[in-house]
Amino acid sequence: CNKDYLEIGPLGTTGEATLANKAGVNGLLTGAYSLLDGWGVPNTTYYFVGVSNWIFGGVTSDDAHTGTQASALPPMESVESYNYDPSLAPFNNKWVVLYAGVQRANDVLRVLAKVNDPSLSADEAKQLKAEATFLRAVYHFEAAKMWENIPYLDENVSYSNGNFNVPNSTSAWPKIEADFKFAADNLTATKTEVGRANSWAAKAFLAKVYMFQDKYAEAKPVLEDIIANGVTAAGQKYALVNYADNFNPSKKNGPESVFAVQMSVSENFQNGNYGDALNFPMGGPATCCGAYQPSFSLVNSYKTDPNTGLPLIDTFNDSDVKNDQNIESSTPFTPHEGTLDARLDWTVGRRGIPYLDWGNHPGKAWIRVQSVAGPYSPIKTVYYQAQAATTSAFSRWTSNNYTMIRFADVLLWAAEVEVEIGSLAKAQEYVNRVRARAANPAGWVKKYINPANPLQGFTNEPAANYKVGLYTNEFTAKGKDFAREAVRFERKLELAMEGHRFFDLRRWDNGTGYMANVLNAYVKHETSIPGYDFTYMKGATFKKGKTELYPIPQAQIDLSVVNGTPTLKQNPGY
Amino acid sequence: CLLTSIVVHAQTQLKGKVIGTDDQKPIAGATILLKGTTNSGTVTDAEGGFTLNVPANAVVVVSYIGYLTQEITVGNQTFLDVALAPTTTSLSEVVVTGYNTERKKDIIGSVSIVDMKALKSVPAGSAVQALQGQAAGVNVISSGAPGSPANIFIRGISSFGNTQPLVLIDGIQGELNDVSADDIESVQVLKDAGAAAIYGVRGSNGVLVVTTKKGKSGQPTLSYDAYYGTQIPQQGNVWNLLNSQDFARLTKIAYPNTGLFQNGLPDFMYRGRSATGVGNAGTPAVDPSRYNFDANNPANNYLIQAVNKTGTDWFHEVFKPAPITNHNLTASGGTDKSNYLVSLGYFNQQGTLLNTYLKRYSARVNTQFKVRKNIRVGENLYVFYKQNPGFDNLSTGNPIAWTYRAMPIIPVYDIRGNYGGTFAGPELGSSSNPVAVQNNTLNNKSNTWNVVGNVFAEVDFLKYFTARTSIGGFIDNQYYTNFTFTPYNNSEGNTNPNSFAESALYNSNTMWTNTLSFAKTLGQHSVKVIAGSEAIRNYGRFLTGSSSGLFSTNFDYLSLTNGTTNITNGSSAYNNTLFSLFTRLDYAYADKYLVGVTVRRDGSSRFGANKRYGVFPSVSLGWRVKGEKFMEDVTWIDDLKLRGSYGVLGSQNNVSPQNAFTLFGGTFFNAYYDISGAGRLSQGFAQTSIGNPNTGWEENIVQNIGLDATFLNNRLDLSLEYYKKSINGLLFSEPLPATAGGATPPTVNIGDIQNKGFDANLTYRGTVGTDLRYSIGANITTYQNTVVNIPGPGYFDAANTQNLGNVIRNQEGQPVSSFFGYKVMGLFKNESEVTSAPAQSGAAPGRFRYADINGDNKIDANDRTFLGSPNPAFTYGLNLGLTYRNFDFSSVLYGSQGNEIYNTVKSFTHFFSTYVGGKSNDLLNAWSPENPNSNIPKIESTGSFSSSGVSNSFYVENGSFLKLRSLVIGYTISPAQLRKIGLNKLRVYAQGANLFTLTKYTGLDPEISGLSSAFGVDYANYPGNQKNFIFGLNLSF
Repeated sequence: CNKDYLEIGPLGTTGEATLANKAGVNGLLTGAYSLLDGWGVPNTTYYFVGVSNWIFGGVTSDDAHTGTQASALPPMESVESYNYDPSLAPFNNKWVVLYAGVQRANDVLRVLAKVNDPSLSADEAKQLKAEATFLRAVYHFEAAKMWENIPYLDENVSYSNGNFNVPNSTSAWPKIEADFKFAADNLTATKTEVGRANSWAAKAFLAKVYMFQDKYAEAKPVLEDIIANGVTAAGQKYALVNYADNFNPSKKNGPESVFAVQMSVSENFQNGNYGDALNFPMGGPATCCGAYQPSFSLVNSYKTDPNTGLPLIDTFNDSDVKNDQNIESSTPFTPHEGTLDARLDWTVGRRGIPYLDWGNHPGKAWIRVQSVAGPYSPIKTVYYQAQAATTSAFSRWTSNNYTMIRFADVLLWAAEVEVEIGSLAKAQEYVNRVRARAANPAGWVKKYINPANPLQGFTNEPAANYKVGLYTNEFTAKGKDFAREAVRFERKLELAMEGHRFFDLRRWDNGTGYMANVLNAYVKHETSIPGYDFTYMKGATFKKGKTELYPIPQAQIDLSVVNGTPTLKQNPGY
Repeated sequence: CLLTSIVVHAQTQLKGKVIGTDDQKPIAGATILLKGTTNSGTVTDAEGGFTLNVPANAVVVVSYIGYLTQEITVGNQTFLDVALAPTTTSLSEVVVTGYNTERKKDIIGSVSIVDMKALKSVPAGSAVQALQGQAAGVNVISSGAPGSPANIFIRGISSFGNTQPLVLIDGIQGELNDVSADDIESVQVLKDAGAAAIYGVRGSNGVLVVTTKKGKSGQPTLSYDAYYGTQIPQQGNVWNLLNSQDFARLTKIAYPNTGLFQNGLPDFMYRGRSATGVGNAGTPAVDPSRYNFDANNPANNYLIQAVNKTGTDWFHEVFKPAPITNHNLTASGGTDKSNYLVSLGYFNQQGTLLNTYLKRYSARVNTQFKVRKNIRVGENLYVFYKQNPGFDNLSTGNPIAWTYRAMPIIPVYDIRGNYGGTFAGPELGSSSNPVAVQNNTLNNKSNTWNVVGNVFAEVDFLKYFTARTSIGGFIDNQYYTNFTFTPYNNSEGNTNPNSFAESALYNSNTMWTNTLSFAKTLGQHSVKVIAGSEAIRNYGRFLTGSSSGLFSTNFDYLSLTNGTTNITNGSSAYNNTLFSLFTRLDYAYADKYLVGVTVRRDGSSRFGANKRYGVFPSVSLGWRVKGEKFMEDVTWIDDLKLRGSYGVLGSQNNVSPQNAFTLFGGTFFNAYYDISGAGRLSQGFAQTSIGNPNTGWEENIVQNIGLDATFLNNRLDLSLEYYKKSINGLLFSEPLPATAGGATPPTVNIGDIQNKGFDANLTYRGTVGTDLRYSIGANITTYQNTVVNIPGPGYFDAANTQNLGNVIRNQEGQPVSSFFGYKVMGLFKNESEVTSAPAQSGAAPGRFRYADINGDNKIDANDRTFLGSPNPAFTYGLNLGLTYRNFDFSSVLYGSQGNEIYNTVKSFTHFFSTYVGGKSNDLLNAWSPENPNSNIPKIESTGSFSSSGVSNSFYVENGSFLKLRSLVIGYTISPAQLRKIGLNKLRVYAQGANLFTLTKYTGLDPEISGLSSAFGVDYANYPGNQKNFIFGLNLSF
């Protein structure tokens, strides 16, 4: 028998040699970008891994509850009630995806080093390297937000080198900073394809990394540079757009989008926003699944002072915004008549208010099990009825980008920095820049011309009693502590339901117990609302010094055992 | 030539008739041979008669399969009346084993010979299900879904992947599942290394050697076998679910604020675009005039359904009595120069579950020609076509699960005859209407063509040598369509566009085997040697496409071209080869001392160049004690043989052909990205698999000792064996941390699973008077399975369930597929018990109290323990056969003892904190302050660690069972009457299958299949123990 009989190569696949050229490395880089949405690693569950962090940044914070019906998302009960067990699937899923992303970025660097392709110029190679380095930093950064104590993997860590068990005992922050700096120094300011990272996106991430380490002095010049000179990958100067446009899939990648994860449904639904595919009302648009339900406390945060239009930072939770809890959709209901911040109705769907162009939210009919889920629905991840054909697939997959950093984010970091090490007046100026947009009636939700046919469009009449005012001199008058709280509260209002809240609270905590205080007060409020049976939060307690960080997945600790000792160390308290 | 003619002239003509002593009926096809020759003889005709020219002083040997061979000195007789006595273990019976045949009495490996009569008495679409309980050492776990493959374990599970034995049908690898039992002549099971090592790497899971029927020389016969019957689903409230009244009452305890039952059971429920609720007759919202159904734009639907106030019996809405039909027509015959057999088969089993079925049309042609005195050629060919849509059996999302997951108040159809469901009403959960689900599978079609067979040639030369070559294999071609309707009646996905998928694939296997054998007896020494080579190639391709948003749902309209969105396509291919050399030496001295040695060297394309070849040796020894002088006086023992074997088998089953390569790839799902931000996807690549060129064979080391004995004048046969099987270098997917990247890890050689146990087989035949004969066959199989060593943390979890997470842990020191979780001590009766117990998250009266396994006074992950395993202590089969005059009676019993079942159904039906849906009547006795001694947890909407949230022993049940698989009563019309109408044989019979299942298990059927690393978990599996009532006939002329 011929010896060749047993020599059979793999069929229908690609080896490294095929990719060691300009187009191949570009393809690997695209593959590294493609995991930004969290979706694409076998054996992970899509709703645990989405880049929007609706679970890890939203449900665990005071933004939202998990809604759904009993047991439909079993580990969510434990996650929501801070009964984090290191063996819970969501933690491991998230970890697996982020490190797959890290290694995809490293694959680009590894194969790039082997390319001997005359058509690849030095400048092009530099951009490939810088973009891969940027992505590697993004994935590490997302992990550091979750767990703080994480292993950092450069391109020398691989299966074939046998060194993939990397300890998490050394801080990864300096390496993440170095990667973003490298990217900021080497990336071009504009890109022909808007999904790519440009130098300004790298600078914004660098600033965010500084903010996570309270390095205000380092952050300040970077933020000022971005605010003064930053442009999008398409070359548009950073600016605040109409608030709702940030969440409208047909207006994505506008001047406010510093760095966004690109979602698309035009060729295949799998490239749509998978992570948020459960985050629609139940019975309304998309018909599923009511998993991400804004909290009472969040809605209360949007109450404003009827005279000044300023938020009620200390007293917002003293009374609840009028809602339709336990009221049938067929029973008449008049929505809250007090003054509200207009951003509420672009963030939260509530009874009687236009829900994009889908009609007035009918309340209970769109809630899965209202007695446990509460009366509210999310909006920011929802598409428009008129654009359903082009921006959605199978109802639940959308082309809504997830914007990892938007310009409002940058302005509010700058405000934080000014509070801590600069001028309170300047901080107020930044905050007012964000509030001024919210105060502009042009950007408010309006009533329908014909509620029976919402596609006929809107009147000019605001949908609710909106009143948004600017700070006059409160920051300087009331001092640093007030200013700090005002900036933080503004971040909550501006960025609610975007997956940032938990990590912001963590950033602000620094061992002070700030986060435990905020969230335990929140638990107390939510579980004491009459007629609201919030089963997932009964007995929930946020433990200071422990719950601020998520547990390192037990499965990863078990798999890191070398000679009987795990390479990875669990976070404190678990 | 002259000499020959002289001999002929010296011959006289001998006539005779052969009958069986059991039924006094003629035996057609019995062989009459002149002693000392292999080809001077004849075969009896249909009436048992024969004519043969014999020399003076001839001795003839009369034999027929299943009967004791007789030698008769002819003397001066011209007419012989021969009465053959039946035997189940005719010791000189020739048995097909590895590439060869052996006399049964010479077998020193571990070989189970299946009782074909019992096997054929079980009505089943495939011989696999019928194999259950028929051979010691073979465990078969089957499902009731028509056409679904069964799990076969020979001597326990020795890998975490494929455990199916190698099935050789006339020497060609095949699927026993698709072979009609009517076509099978014999089945042998090779269990130890002594018997199977000649198959080397192919034999690790054991080998089933199946021989199909061949034509016999003599007058052509035409036989027709048929049966028709009805399968009856289980009756009664199979899940023990609450009726609507009780359901509403208990729901209100769990959800005091429920909108659904705020005022008791409503008359109607409805939902439209932005309105949902309940209402009694007369309420405007449920006025039928508001009803709107828009098939093309379901977002405009306004559906109203009437509450089923007694409760929908979902199980019996989808499970209905269903027919089963089998026809087989066989023509066979031959001369001493050639023979043929042609058979046509038709099998049609409608599943008791709506729209499940297996239809198979098959044809077999087996022929052999003796072209010269020493040259034989022949072929075996089997072609079948089957239609068998798949059924997702191990899932809580299948229609069987919906029969307990859907609420009783939901009607099958709404007020206008459209499907009822969770859409039209508030708080109905997210279950599907199982009637809709199954009816909507009507466009799911599965068509398979398969051709399997070989051609062979044999040449005898130089007196002692035979050379044989065989070229064969199979080609199958499978074609599927799958159509998903818009589930307008579901709360989830009710506006999703419909979608259509079409896929085709083919598999091919080609196999070229050459052997050279030598056999010589010299005085007391007998030597047999066989050496050979074998080249096998597997190749196949797969193609699939899908699209959605089709304008019409009519099957005749459906094509991928007519889809409007979500258009996808894909294809894949595989190719792998195996080349092997093997030899076997059998030596016997004085028929008393037997030695067998085999060596096989395999080379596989699946492994990298440095680990490509493996050598697998075995040695077996046998001692026929009965042949010794000192046994001559022990007349009650007819035969006694001791035997033992040691050998190494290999496996490459659980390794991908691409394992040695590091590969990249990219699909929409895992690597494409809209980098342009403009809705144009760019192609991306990502590492898809990590290669490891150092992975090699898995070795199974098998030791076996056995004893075969025949007692009491051949009435009692006993076979007893002890074995030990261990794995060296188990092929196991390397457990890698995430830091190695997201690509599929390579399979590497680490780990060991061991099995040891006894097999025993006992057959007794007896008579009462002259008319009553009976036989009892019993077999028992025990195995003790232990995971000795696996890499990584020393365990891996499996059987992920949505409510409970992983419920199985495969861990060192435990049997495979062991159930894992917290051990329930009972319920907390009251607050003071909670306070005094170790700290436990969610502890409260009426919830589970877990055992503090490690005694640290708190209940946490370290207190999880092993809760049982689905591996039985033993399984057993019992065949009873009885004939009285023209009546025959047989029964087959099969049992399994000591296995546990993980009943995940209870996690849905016993808690309101899990999915909304049907709940159990057990909850009527749930814990409450007034009923503190109940063992049924409290009714509440909150799930927790202490109730429905984690895996615990509440779900583990005793799964032991005994089933009456078959009971047959037959009547054979006497030949004298038949002859008048030109028939040879006519037997009619009535049969009941699965007339009882004795078990304590509360689910549908305690026999539960699954993956080798995760079986015995009940998700609502298709029951395999439904009663069948069948009438059949066997006819030949």
